[in-house]
Amino acid sequence: MAITPAALEEGVVADATGAEPVAGKSPTQIALRRLRKDKVAMFCAFLVLVMTVLAILAPVITGAMNIYWDVSHPDAPTGSEVLDVYGFPIIGPPFNGFTWEHPLGLAPRTGSDNLAYLLYGLRTSMIVAFSAAVLSTFIGVVIGLVSGFSRGWVDRVLSFITDMFLSFPSLLAMLALAPIIVSHFGGNLDLLGTVQFVTLIVILVIFGWMSLARLIRGQVLSLREREFIQAAEVIGVPTRQILFKELLPNLIAPIVITLSLNLPAFVALEAGLSFLGLGLSDIPSLGKMVSDARTYYSDYPLFLWVPVAAIGVLTLALNLLGDSVRDAFDPRTRR
Amino acid sequence: MAGYIVRRLLSAALVVVLTSMFVFALFFLGPANAARPLCDLNGRCNPEKLALLTEQLGLNDSVVNQYGIWAKGLVSDREIVFGPTFHCDAPCLGISYSTRGEVTTELFDRFPATISVAIGGGALYLVIGVVLGVVAAARRGTVVDRGLVAASLVIYSIPFYVVALVAWIFFSLEWGIFPDTTYHPISEGVGPWFWGLLLPWLVLGFTNSTTYARYTRGQMVETLGEDYIRTATAKGVRRSKVLFKHALRAAIVPVITLFGLDFAYLLTGTIFLEQIFQIDGIGRWAIEALRDPIDFPVVSATVLVGAIVIVVANLLVDIFYSFIDPRVRLA
Repeated sequence: MAITPAALEEGVVADATGAEPVAGKSPTQIALRRLRKDKVAMFCAFLVLVMTVLAILAPVITGAMNIYWDVSHPDAPTGSEVLDVYGFPIIGPPFNGFTWEHPLGLAPRTGSDNLAYLLYGLRTSMIVAFSAAVLSTFIGVVIGLVSGFSRGWVDRVLSFITDMFLSFPSLLAMLALAPIIVSHFGGNLDLLGTVQFVTLIVILVIFGWMSLARLIRGQVLSLREREFIQAAEVIGVPTRQILFKELLPNLIAPIVITLSLNLPAFVALEAGLSFLGLGLSDIPSLGKMVSDARTYYSDYPLFLWVPVAAIGVLTLALNLLGDSVRDAFDPRTRR
Repeated sequence: MAGYIVRRLLSAALVVVLTSMFVFALFFLGPANAARPLCDLNGRCNPEKLALLTEQLGLNDSVVNQYGIWAKGLVSDREIVFGPTFHCDAPCLGISYSTRGEVTTELFDRFPATISVAIGGGALYLVIGVVLGVVAAARRGTVVDRGLVAASLVIYSIPFYVVALVAWIFFSLEWGIFPDTTYHPISEGVGPWFWGLLLPWLVLGFTNSTTYARYTRGQMVETLGEDYIRTATAKGVRRSKVLFKHALRAAIVPVITLFGLDFAYLLTGTIFLEQIFQIDGIGRWAIEALRDPIDFPVVSATVLVGAIVIVVANLLVDIFYSFIDPRVRLA
């Protein structure tokens, strides 16, 4: 009697006694279940969710509260209306009490609203980190898959490039690259913000894909010798399908782990570069806010604490969450 | 052994050369006119002045030739013309656009500050980290151990510069424990030098030691399970000697690797520390040079020096292996 494929595909196997059917769980489902039981991870996920919602709703919130980070906005109060002769705000902190008009006060010298700036800064952080993480993951996966699966010179060339990038002092290069690229487009001041933004993401991607590529290559090297891949090759499955349909699903764990640990790293790098004055200056960035606020600390501590706390909480939550994701996907950790 | 060192030296040299080419190419092959920042620097920039500077800097030449000229300056004296003529002694890394001084001289002026911060901080976190790791491994499973693991995760998760900023706010501004935190050359006396850099060192040491503690702990836990440790304990060797002499020697090798690999991270950390604590080192110099208008000779010099330091650190670590761990045989 021939076994039809349909009979094999039945995912649920009932045992002889007719008790509860045993359903198979994929490793990803098991990991997600473990993650849901992790209290720290869930709290961090909640924090990240809140900050994401705040970042997404930034235009709505600032619009409703009538606050502006961009002082050139037609509805924003002009500097002479809200700042004294020394450049300090005349309403709200640091010298006057709390006011609902500007809950976190105004920035000295510019008069831009700190809450609005914070929300838009969060937005920038998240967009930069998310796009850089997704793009670098994509590049890392593709390069790792191709170099792991192809034998011969393709693998050697790709591995050499990966090793070169890894041994390269990437942080120094990042520092040097950002302003040099921007200077090439620097003539046009209207575009400055966009150019800085795109440059920053590109730089984070250029120096962010290598570790995943290596990880994936190693995994593919061992996976491609397994029977199911050999079987697929023997029956003539196209290479592309083997790569993306057979190999890729087995690489979910390293990809998800790298992605979730890259997010906080990129948030920290974006803010760090902007803090050094080499990242973003034309659009709101938490790092730039820190560097602006540093000189005002003795008179206006709140101005510095707002971005410092935001960066600290965001990276801490993302990192702890990423760490829990790694534990959840690692079959060796038992809790 | 000799063959290995030669091979490693060659690949290290390759990284350094490629880094310098990369910076060079980036600057000269980009769409921007490299003479522009220099032209904008003193007075208005008109087309004739720009054309003259472009010619003087050799920008009409091919990029390969220019790289050749630059590389040749590393071994022999060079005359550099932009506006006036500058003489530049070998090893010549160019003339700074903003100060008009020789880059090499300014580099050596600032090197001690950066090295002081990096070595002091590095030594501190290595020692603190390893000792904490050994202690945690020896008391595995206790409150000390679990507290250490949790603390290391939290500190590792917050960006380094945020920790440095908060330390600066509290220890320097609020409580005034370290009121005079900056770099004093060691020639002004060891006291001011030491006290001026203590806070940056502590920040570096504190933030990085947790990672080292974690690695050392992991390695030590594994090593303490080995037979030779049981033998040593059984024949009555003191506990501290077993821990620090017998076990640590085997456990420390991966930690040293990490230290070598972390050198890049240490240098970046130094950049932030120099910025926050206003230390006039190479990092701060590079940041200044990168601000508009870009001081290209300074940028290329700092990136090159950074690459050399990192590559040399990795090389030393690899060679150091064979001495510290008898199991490593380099072929």
